[in-house]
Amino acid sequence: MIPNPFSRRAALKSAACGFGYLALAGLTAGNAQAAALNPLAPRFPHFAPRAKRVIFLFMQGGVSHVDSFDYKPTLAKQDGKMMPFDDSRQLANTGKGGSSQRIMKPLWDFAQHGQSGRWASNLFPEINRHVDDLCFIHSMQTEGVAHGPATLFLHCGSTSFIRPSMGSWVTYGLGSENDNLPGFVSIAPSAGNGGPRNYGSAFLPAVYQGTAVGKAGGPASDLIIRNLAAGATSGNQRRSFDLLQQFNAEQLRQHPGDSEMEAVINSYELAWRMQGRAPDALDLSKESPETLTQYGIGAKPTDTFGRQCLMARRLCESGVRYIQVTYGDSGANPAWDQHSNLAKHGDHARAVDRPIGALLADLKSRGLLEDTLVWWGGEFGRTPYAEKNGTGRDHNPGGFTVWLAGGGVKPGFAYGATDEFGHRAIQDKVHMHDLHATVLHLLGLDHEKLTYRYAGRDFRLTDVAGRVVNEIIA
Amino acid sequence: MALRTRLILLFLLSLNGIVGVSARGAEPSAADLEFFEKRVRPVLVERCYKCHSAQSEKVKGHLLLDTREGWQKGGDGGPAVKPGDPDHSLLIEAVRYTNADMEMPPKGKLADAEIATLVEWVKRGAPDPRTGAATTVAKAKGIDLEAGRKFWAYQPIGKSPVPAVKDAEWPRGDIDRFILAKLEAKALRPVADAEPTALLRRLYFDLIGLPPTPEQIDAFVSDPSPKRYERVVDELLASPQFGERWGRHWLDVARFAESLTLRGFVLKDAWRYRDYVIETFNHDRPFDKSMQEQVAGDLLPAASIEEGRRQLTGSAFLALGNTNLEEQDKKQLEMDVVDEQLDTMGRAFLAQTIGCARCHDHKFDPIPTKDYYALAGILHSTQTLEHSNVSKWLEMPLPTDPAREATLKKREAAIAELQAKVKDAKAAVAKANKAKPGKKSNEASTAIADLAGIVVDDAQAKRIGTWKESTSVKPYIGDGYLFDDGDRKESKTLTFLFEVPEAGRYEVRFAYTPAPRRATNAPVTVFSADGEKTITVNEREAPAIEGHFTSLGQYAFEKNGQSFVIVSTQDVDGTVIADAVQFIPVNATGATAVTPPAVADAGSKNDAPAQRVKQLEAELKVLTEAGPQRETIISVREAKEIGDTRVHIRGNVHTLSDPAPRGFLRVIAMSHPPAIPEKQSGRRELGEWLASPENPLPARVMANRVWHWLTGAGIVRTTDNFGTTGELPSHPELLDHLASGFIADGWSVKKLVRQIVLSRTYQLSTANAAEGLRVDPENRLMWRMNRRRLDAECIRDVMLAVSAQLKDENAGGATFKAGLTSDFGYKQADNRRSVYLPVFRNSLPEVFEAFDFADPSVGTGRRNVSTVAPQALFMMNHPWVAEQARAAATRLLAEKQWTDDRARLARAYRLTLGRPATPAEERAGLAFVKDSAAEPAVETWAQVFHALFASMDFRYVD
Repeated sequence: MIPNPFSRRAALKSAACGFGYLALAGLTAGNAQAAALNPLAPRFPHFAPRAKRVIFLFMQGGVSHVDSFDYKPTLAKQDGKMMPFDDSRQLANTGKGGSSQRIMKPLWDFAQHGQSGRWASNLFPEINRHVDDLCFIHSMQTEGVAHGPATLFLHCGSTSFIRPSMGSWVTYGLGSENDNLPGFVSIAPSAGNGGPRNYGSAFLPAVYQGTAVGKAGGPASDLIIRNLAAGATSGNQRRSFDLLQQFNAEQLRQHPGDSEMEAVINSYELAWRMQGRAPDALDLSKESPETLTQYGIGAKPTDTFGRQCLMARRLCESGVRYIQVTYGDSGANPAWDQHSNLAKHGDHARAVDRPIGALLADLKSRGLLEDTLVWWGGEFGRTPYAEKNGTGRDHNPGGFTVWLAGGGVKPGFAYGATDEFGHRAIQDKVHMHDLHATVLHLLGLDHEKLTYRYAGRDFRLTDVAGRVVNEIIA
Repeated sequence: MALRTRLILLFLLSLNGIVGVSARGAEPSAADLEFFEKRVRPVLVERCYKCHSAQSEKVKGHLLLDTREGWQKGGDGGPAVKPGDPDHSLLIEAVRYTNADMEMPPKGKLADAEIATLVEWVKRGAPDPRTGAATTVAKAKGIDLEAGRKFWAYQPIGKSPVPAVKDAEWPRGDIDRFILAKLEAKALRPVADAEPTALLRRLYFDLIGLPPTPEQIDAFVSDPSPKRYERVVDELLASPQFGERWGRHWLDVARFAESLTLRGFVLKDAWRYRDYVIETFNHDRPFDKSMQEQVAGDLLPAASIEEGRRQLTGSAFLALGNTNLEEQDKKQLEMDVVDEQLDTMGRAFLAQTIGCARCHDHKFDPIPTKDYYALAGILHSTQTLEHSNVSKWLEMPLPTDPAREATLKKREAAIAELQAKVKDAKAAVAKANKAKPGKKSNEASTAIADLAGIVVDDAQAKRIGTWKESTSVKPYIGDGYLFDDGDRKESKTLTFLFEVPEAGRYEVRFAYTPAPRRATNAPVTVFSADGEKTITVNEREAPAIEGHFTSLGQYAFEKNGQSFVIVSTQDVDGTVIADAVQFIPVNATGATAVTPPAVADAGSKNDAPAQRVKQLEAELKVLTEAGPQRETIISVREAKEIGDTRVHIRGNVHTLSDPAPRGFLRVIAMSHPPAIPEKQSGRRELGEWLASPENPLPARVMANRVWHWLTGAGIVRTTDNFGTTGELPSHPELLDHLASGFIADGWSVKKLVRQIVLSRTYQLSTANAAEGLRVDPENRLMWRMNRRRLDAECIRDVMLAVSAQLKDENAGGATFKAGLTSDFGYKQADNRRSVYLPVFRNSLPEVFEAFDFADPSVGTGRRNVSTVAPQALFMMNHPWVAEQARAAATRLLAEKQWTDDRARLARAYRLTLGRPATPAEERAGLAFVKDSAAEPAVETWAQVFHALFASMDFRYVD
């Protein structure tokens, strides 16, 4: 990676706010460690990127693809029929396939949408209006039959080992575009299924860790960055910080040329500026009433997710590299996990459909969709048959659908296919490692070159696998 | 086709197959040849050659399909084709997509016709005219162990003579001579000795993790004795806080934690391992012994109960990994656990990255895959988990003294007896109910409102298939019940959904009305946070509870979690009926929290058997809650199946190669490595191998760790990696000097620490020197002491010490409430020393997260030291910091001896930074106090303390 000549230090020196003058006060020329001073400086990618940032809309628990975007007429025709299937859970547990299962038809009706004539069910009517901007991958496969392993695999590329999360890899690879905000923000992350590991930096330096805003299932009022004081610039606090500045200035004078001390000063400066900027980036009161309405803010089922999507757009505009928005909770069976009562998918869809539609429209109208990659999907899909002959569907890591939009992918396109039941991916299979490789590629990063040496080995997000799915790139 | 003809054809086909097999190597017939050329070859060329031919850019799996010899030899998994037997040919298995680990071609399945062609080809005996040797497959070269042994880390520990130095005055001991000799070689001079106050502060933090009080500083500075420093060293080594500080270092290495990230499961007794580690350091127990306890404590002979307890607790080391218990492939899970143990153990004791050899021979270090599986066999012969949908760690009973053991046994026997009585009593109720089947019509039904807990009536159940309503057999709940119509062609189920009001354990009961023709084997499946469990209900027998219910057991449910019951007609021998499902909250001891109202069954009011059940259940509750509980520790034991493990090709648990006899790393040359008995795991021998004086790694690794913890940089800076990808030692002779001394001193950590802190090298100042910076900017040669950032625990503990809020008693034991089941959202609010805060992987204290606490999921010998904005935000804005500042101000103002602001400021500085304010700091501080005259004094001083806590000097130690 080539370091960017326009480092943050240069910007720092011209900054007049916060502790800016301190940085100038006692500092001598940089020394051997100075290069390590700003690990978040923007870096050149390996090659020209198609996307500058990512918004990942994580549908935790696993949306049923056969009830939403993977149209399988066979299911309606053969509803109720018992058929042998190689059930992933049973395979993992016993190594045996061919269990007898009752085919269950989709609970939502399918129709064709858009110029592309894409088949989609009426589970997500608002998203359906954007099918011509979406790029579907119907042949996803992943690792892990249970939420814990599959969720970690989705985020970190490993079902159990401690590995950096994708957003951390991206921030490590590209640095941050914004000096005043963290490079990787996870909105409403789940505490469950790996919890902080899903936005953690593992062995990468801590600076690449995701910053959590709120928590899954938490109230909208909780959507804040920790330890950002509200009235930071109020008189008393200002005076207190002035005192701290004076102490620090003196202490720095006692240790001339100490680069670590310099870094501490820098960290206070960034903190001060974050305090000024981040609340603004998350402040939705700056948005017009029309926009709020579009996102469904103020309306019952859509309010929370609408706020989160709108925050994602604001963060995106502010230059945050990797934004994840989680629709889920911290339970062992998160949100979309309808082992029974599949009809509950409808409740979740009502909560996310409109906000996602609004986000897509908003990004497009602001020209942001050009270089923002939106990724929608869960940790796996669901089975085309009823679980235990009941009223829900079990996990299906062997075949499911995600969609991407913007950021250099083909719009109005669909890639890969599952079998006639939507059970296993059979054509143009895309493994989660491949999707990771592709997203990195769109950001200008070669997944085989984005490595970090730890414990004697060069690690990467895609381990020893991963293929860039060039077929979906525009 | 008539059946007969088909059979003949089948026979002919198989005959053809047999002929094909026997004629292997012979020239194929013309028809077979034509078949191959026209049908088979095109498929192979188009769909397989890209990765499996001499032209492939990279041959995958070492398999070639472009010659006959290629598939005969096969790839990593063995021969690809078994002529005549498609069902046992890997090639066919792969193209059929029946093995999720081996789907070929990987990008998409072949067309059915293509698969049929290949199957037919194999059936015909795989006639193949393509001759030529499959030579392009370069199998990985073996590792040259003999060459590997030449690397410094695997060499025996040497005894180098202490070098001569030019300046004989400077050194105080051998350590200093080793250091000075290297400095002199580069024409460098060590900087001056540290100031006494700075040195004392350094020593306190390094040995006990707390700063000296101003009074301790004064006493030290005014002590004229030349032995004053040595005296403080010995005092601190003897202090119980030494173990708290040094134990925490080892807990990093052991990736100690008290919960799993998965579902936040709490390891209720893991704190015993923490206390074990602290005590090990405090009692200076020999490190070779404690190594053996940590890998095999459960197997070591114990001379006393106390020793037995200690040893078993030590082996918790193996069980503390952050395991994904939900992994459904249990073979995979077991090998992941083994891998985690090998990785942690390899780093901790050997500083080797053994895990790299899981999938292939280590690329850099002389660790063949076979050695990995030799060690893996030892750990695979060890049980760490009990498997179920969500597997569970083991809670092993700790040995206990005979008197207590007798009491425990008695209590357990009493509980078992009472449980049996409850069972009998319930059976009696069932029998009594059976005897009086016909209820009067006015007792026909029980209203849902009269029942305890949450009741889901059959009317609310989701029906699949045909179910009919009925009221014929009484009594029932609600308005009737459902029965299946007997049509066995369709599968029928009823789903009872349950919305959990709050997460916790519930007793689940199933209601039905008994009758003679009903199913004796109705499958009722409970889906809970514990997974799924099917109970077979005999619907001919009367239900035991209140004339309605039979218990399905107790289960954990989570909010929004899976919580439902499915009744099915799968393989039943009679009519299945379902009336209702009841969920009753259960308290921690397992008794249902709500006493069901007696109105449930009018008949039971005077029903002696039913009364007896209630009475016995109440007794059971009392008994289980009272009395001494058996103490346990998360640990390991010998597995039921002991044996060698096979090498896993590319680490895949489903593709096995040759067996690897259990053993150790062969790169460590040992005259007589311990022999592993056939019927034992070999962990005990592994412990012996680690502690063997012929094994150069453990003593070197530990001596290096101690150096690192005392100076901030190891002699080998990569403390967990002594392999070729790690760094080389800056002073290899010094390291061996320390390591051999460590062994000679009976593996005493305290003696090693003492030796190092008494060296002049340790006592150098952290001052810069132009020449040193120029020649050795990273201070590898130790021309000065490294300036170090305090770790998270010290930052927190010092604030608590300054604010006088630190609970200073020796505070071992469990530090969270009994019965805590999940660490999600756990509020860390305790003023104990940091080492005692529960290490919850999902809920670490914020100060830990901000200041680089070691990731408790990975063994860590060297923590990161980051400087990031969230630290600044934490210091500026976290309410806890403000609280401590306020408490410190209150303390300061209560100390009446400080009569003016100058004296108060001086006191504040000495408390927080261990030094007086510089003139500039004093000016700024006093000006601030003066300007705040309108504010309450406590507010003003709280702000001063807050600024001091946030200031740079607070978090660095010179």
